[in-house]
Amino acid sequence: MNYFKKLVRPYIIWSAVFIAVPLLMIFLYAFTQSGNSLLNIQFTFDNFIKFADEVYVDVFVESFKLGLLTVIICLFVGYTLAYMISRFSEKTQSFLILLVTIPMWINMIIRIYAWKSILEPMGLMYTDFAVMVGQICEFLPFMVIPIHTSLSKMDKSLIEASYDLGATHIQTFTKVVFKLSIPGVINGIIMVFLLSVSTFMIPQILGGGQYILIGNLIEKQFIEGGDWNFGSAVSLLLAVIILLLIHWMKKVDKEG
Amino acid sequence: MKKLSRLSTGFYIFLCFAFLYVPIIVTMIFSFNSSKSFSRFTGFSLHWYEELINDAEIMSAVWVSVSIAIIATIIATVLGTITAIGLSKSRKLLREWILNINNIPIMNPDIVTAIGLMILFTSLRVEKGYITMLLAHICFCTPYVITSVYPKVRELDTNVANAALDLGATPFQALIKVIVPMIKPGIFAGMLLAFTMSIDDFVISYFVSGNGVENISMIVYNATKRINPTINALSTIVILVITAAVFVVNIAPVIQKRKWFKRLKKSISPAVKKTFTVITSVLLVFLICFSVIMSNTNKAVLKVYNAGEYIDNSLITEFEERNNCKIIYETFDSNESMYTKIMSGERYDIIIPSDYMIERLAKEEFLQEIDKSKLKNLDKVMPYLLDKPFDPENKYSIPYFWGSVGILYDKTVVDETDLEAGWEILRNQKFKNNIYMYNSERDSFMVALKALGYSLNTTDKAQLYKAYEWLVEQNRLMNPVYVGDEVIDSMINGNKAMAIVYSGDAAYIMSENENLEFFAPDAGTNMWIDGMVITKDCTNTDLAHKWIDFMLEEESARANTVEIGYSSPVESVYNEISTTEYDGISAYVPRLDNENDEFFRYQPLEIKQYCAELWIKVKAK
Repeated sequence: MNYFKKLVRPYIIWSAVFIAVPLLMIFLYAFTQSGNSLLNIQFTFDNFIKFADEVYVDVFVESFKLGLLTVIICLFVGYTLAYMISRFSEKTQSFLILLVTIPMWINMIIRIYAWKSILEPMGLMYTDFAVMVGQICEFLPFMVIPIHTSLSKMDKSLIEASYDLGATHIQTFTKVVFKLSIPGVINGIIMVFLLSVSTFMIPQILGGGQYILIGNLIEKQFIEGGDWNFGSAVSLLLAVIILLLIHWMKKVDKEG
Repeated sequence: MKKLSRLSTGFYIFLCFAFLYVPIIVTMIFSFNSSKSFSRFTGFSLHWYEELINDAEIMSAVWVSVSIAIIATIIATVLGTITAIGLSKSRKLLREWILNINNIPIMNPDIVTAIGLMILFTSLRVEKGYITMLLAHICFCTPYVITSVYPKVRELDTNVANAALDLGATPFQALIKVIVPMIKPGIFAGMLLAFTMSIDDFVISYFVSGNGVENISMIVYNATKRINPTINALSTIVILVITAAVFVVNIAPVIQKRKWFKRLKKSISPAVKKTFTVITSVLLVFLICFSVIMSNTNKAVLKVYNAGEYIDNSLITEFEERNNCKIIYETFDSNESMYTKIMSGERYDIIIPSDYMIERLAKEEFLQEIDKSKLKNLDKVMPYLLDKPFDPENKYSIPYFWGSVGILYDKTVVDETDLEAGWEILRNQKFKNNIYMYNSERDSFMVALKALGYSLNTTDKAQLYKAYEWLVEQNRLMNPVYVGDEVIDSMINGNKAMAIVYSGDAAYIMSENENLEFFAPDAGTNMWIDGMVITKDCTNTDLAHKWIDFMLEEESARANTVEIGYSSPVESVYNEISTTEYDGISAYVPRLDNENDEFFRYQPLEIKQYCAELWIKVKAK
């Protein structure tokens, strides 16, 4: 079996060049002043101090709120859907999961514009509702697929055993089915949360420009030629917070 | 009871799928629309499918998107799978390290990954294009494969592989024949995820690509100005192809059970199968080489960088034919993103930026002087547009389109008397919840500064702060919607009473909705010129000058202005079109006589960043 150890090597080199080095460069940007060359680096915390402004903190809080709400709704709707799908025959299941995946192959921007033409005549554009609809439609598959994976590989005899031992439907669900599907749930939550916290296209198109979320803030710094150093600092902060959250969730998962 | 629950299950699944598929169905419906609109169905037509087939830009984007998705998925799957297998056998420390690093691209926002990779490629001086885009896609796809395959590998019984080795299998055989089949579901899931991520990616591709290599998302994003249903037609075709594929996959097992198929299968010898595989792979390699060679023709090449949907595409082909050259045409969505791209090391011959950006590029020595003796048509340009402060004596730029900024209003809602307030009409509570502001700090601060009677080029922070307060107050009183170019479609439908728009866009909107009128307050507004410039990197300056001269020819200028709707700088064409095509549409003829009207100038970085910060605060409050 030790032959297979070597198989990691290509990826070690690959990830050093294409993941670690770019990240280090962003680090460098976050802790330096704008407009200096590599020969004359000025380290500073200014980019982080600037962030302490109430407005930017609000932007973070708003983004996390929106992300959380999206996750909750997606979890509720997505779990139900995944659960129902998992009760069909295997062939039907893979067909239904394919149906869940297909919308993701159509360009996202196109689908957002389509929502715009649906919501506009109803007078629902540029509202929280519009943004929510867009987000859920966009991210629901990312919740359904991992949960379904967990549910489908579950040993069905455990459920039978639970009934045999006298558990009710509800007890069986909460104590057996849901517990066993938690890894999928966690994956789904992380995926949807990540996507919805850092998105900028959906709020921009469906919510109008008054929707400033972290994604917009970062995008603005880079694409609109703002402040790369500040943008790097914000993305670094976002990455750290998300890492901590994920770490915490995995811990809860292990303990639970 | 059971029947009821089955019924409700079916209903719930139906609702969910309806929700997921509604936007796709709408997209398909509008691909058959006879007009450009995305919200009004004006009649059935196959017009957009014709456009799609004739649109070389979109067709090549399809090729880029699909080929990159397929190649990246294959490489990422192989790389990810062997890494996952190797990881399960590695020491704990190494494993934890790799898994954590592997999580970074998944957990970082796309834009961070994009910027990181862009900086990497730039500092390594790799020329951006197909290869960089492919590398980037492999980079963000592989982690997804690893995360899906690794759990499966861990569930694996190690004894099975050991048994294979004991029985004399080589490690490679054990890998392919024993391990891989056991972790197939994980590999398949990872592959699916990688393909999905790759085909839909926009941000990363946008930053790491160059040299005219664009995927579908980039085309859609840059075309938001005049987004048209050609893209819908494309999506419809994609959906049909997928449906067909799903159909075939589900039918295939049925066929395989038929007797004639089994007999056929038996009659094909393994040798034939092998030959078939070899032929297919040779064909694939040949195809890739062919497409690489095709892009390296010996013709002279001119790289043009222009705003999205800002040219009559037939002009590009005409110029190519006339000069026996190849134009690599790329688009950007704003001056700022164009600048970011240039700063990241991308090179072009001709760029078409706005006035203040021309000044900036000239100051930072990105441009070369224009040799006016090579321009036969320069004297056709309106004198008013020449020798402006941002580029004295037109040393570096020649006008491409020009216009002003103003308020487009609905005559049926807004009274003439309301207009007397000038820019303050945007704070008239009668129109609360009824206005669109333009989602750009430059234009919004222009409005506020002009409303307060200041210069739009002020560098006085106190004045800028007052403008900021004006905008905050406006946001509070009026609850405006800050929109981008989608304002065009929205105003054609008459969704709100007023909007801030560029005169060129206003001209097009007014030609589609006769209830609208364009108005520039006396307090002054922003006049602008987008000009063609030649960069320092341009070596074939003759061809570059020919391009500029070609755009000033009456025929090409006419085609361009009719197609785009912006005011032409060629005087004869401008006069002609304002009495024919755009007769009676005031926005096509911006006023030239108001002393308060100004051109934007390039401002110091400090002022720019100050405005950017204030602008975020205006909107976030």
